[in-house]
Amino acid sequence: MADYREAPLATRPKTLDPNEYFNLSPDYRRAEAERAALRAGLKRQYQLQLNNPHRKELIEDPALNRWVYARANPYNHFKATKKTSLLGALFGVAPLFILYYVFKTDRVRSFNWMCAGLWVC
Amino acid sequence: MLKILIPTLFLLPTTWLTSSKWLWPTALTQSMLIALGSITWLNNTTDTGWTALNSYIGTDPLSTPLLVLSCWLLPLMLLASQNHLSSEPMNRQRMYITLLATLQLFLILAFGATEMIMFYVMFEATLIPTLLVITRWGNQTERLNAGTYFLFYTLAGSLPLLVALLMLQNSTGTLSLLIIPYAKPLLLMPFGSKIWWAACMIAFLVKMPLYGMHLWLPKAHVEAPVAGSMVLAAVLLKLGGYGMMRLMIVLDPLSKEMVYPFIVLALWGVIMTGSICLRQTDLKSLIAYSSVSHMGLVAGGILIQTPWGFTGALILMIAHGLASSALFCLANTNYERTHSRTMLLARGLQIALPLMTTWWFIASLANLALPPLPNLMGELMILTSLFNWSAWTLILTGIGTLITAAYSLYMFLMSQRGPLPQHMLALPPSYTREHLLMALHLIPLLLIILKPALLWGWFAC
Repeated sequence: MADYREAPLATRPKTLDPNEYFNLSPDYRRAEAERAALRAGLKRQYQLQLNNPHRKELIEDPALNRWVYARANPYNHFKATKKTSLLGALFGVAPLFILYYVFKTDRVRSFNWMCAGLWVC
Repeated sequence: MLKILIPTLFLLPTTWLTSSKWLWPTALTQSMLIALGSITWLNNTTDTGWTALNSYIGTDPLSTPLLVLSCWLLPLMLLASQNHLSSEPMNRQRMYITLLATLQLFLILAFGATEMIMFYVMFEATLIPTLLVITRWGNQTERLNAGTYFLFYTLAGSLPLLVALLMLQNSTGTLSLLIIPYAKPLLLMPFGSKIWWAACMIAFLVKMPLYGMHLWLPKAHVEAPVAGSMVLAAVLLKLGGYGMMRLMIVLDPLSKEMVYPFIVLALWGVIMTGSICLRQTDLKSLIAYSSVSHMGLVAGGILIQTPWGFTGALILMIAHGLASSALFCLANTNYERTHSRTMLLARGLQIALPLMTTWWFIASLANLALPPLPNLMGELMILTSLFNWSAWTLILTGIGTLITAAYSLYMFLMSQRGPLPQHMLALPPSYTREHLLMALHLIPLLLIILKPALLWGWFAC
């Protein structure tokens, strides 16, 4: 297997547990062991940074950076599909016309009432 | 007026000639003295309302609160910037203070201008120091993009304004704000006068910003350093509102028909940008969108041209200026500790920095317009005058108020409550400078509760 040796008390992932082995192919087991080794390497990196007494800044999480970038830059990856066009029309275009119509009719009506002397304050 | 202008002008030699040990204390003291001197402008005793009047500059109850706000903000900007600039070379520090002082100068001249072309020139001139501050001292690579958006949105909006003002000058013979209310209206062909109306207003609507043309604001606010964000949120947006209030007088009979699309955009923008705030991951971006939301209300209040609308708009502008600037300073205290604007990374700060939580709390309450703060007074007046204009606006403004409360609460809970990130280091405790900065923002806001009549503009009766 890969030359990862986990800590003595750590649990093995389910697919490397000898009790679950029997219906798994050796290729699959090898792949799982490599992935476990990668994960352990990342955890080791994190622990090294976490316990480094000379560290002055936050530990950088690349996944968080990617997520923040994605949330902050939606327009670069915008595609005009049926759903996005519908949403845009429903929330961005239609309300403007609807509100214009509502305000205009309301004001025109109250203006006419005021001219006719029907406006009761 | 000169007793404020000359010291502001001489802040420039001060920054270049003082020794590096005394640079910041001297700049702070001088700007604080200017700020305290500017408060004397609030004393409007003349019958006509125009004080400190000469051929070019004057103050009246509309411009005075904004002038005092811009003068008050300079020492606060310097206080806020002191930390992140301390590691830079001396010349860059001096340049930064010079840019802020020039911006202050242009702002005073803009708000004090009695002639519209002078106002226009100063309006444009304020763009340059701000652009330099954003693009040269911003922290991320997106600052160039932000500077471009900021400059070109505002410029594109204001070039038609120049043409419109020149047309007005041609027909009326003067552009002095004292004479314009009594001049005869500009008579053009029907379509031409609509274009002229739009040309006058678009510049200020982009600056405010109005919902459809607000894209520059989150970029500029987020990428600017703290002093840039403060001055953008607190004063530069209000230049748009002030310009609108001044120009509405000459646009009168047209406005009845032309305002509808813009009021619709403004009110719908209150709800939309408020909803966007609830989905933000970036703290400064949240505060920037909340600025758009509040300014949408202000735009609505100004466009309906009623006394209460104007009063509410003016009070909300001042109160929002102080509250928003306070929130940007708080966001900066987070940024200086974690070097990240992501809200998730700076949670649970109540455990780590409890005194700062007090300021976060008060600033969030100010943002959501808690009574008896002047934010509520402004919002209520605008709400009421909009309701009088058309009863259906109440739905929009009511939902808008609800969403404002929601995202202010979200911001507070996200930053203060919750678990502290496990890899958080020993954060430096809150400096006295930061407490002073927050106090200087929020104590004037609390004091305004006692006498809001100072800020009511022309209708303080």
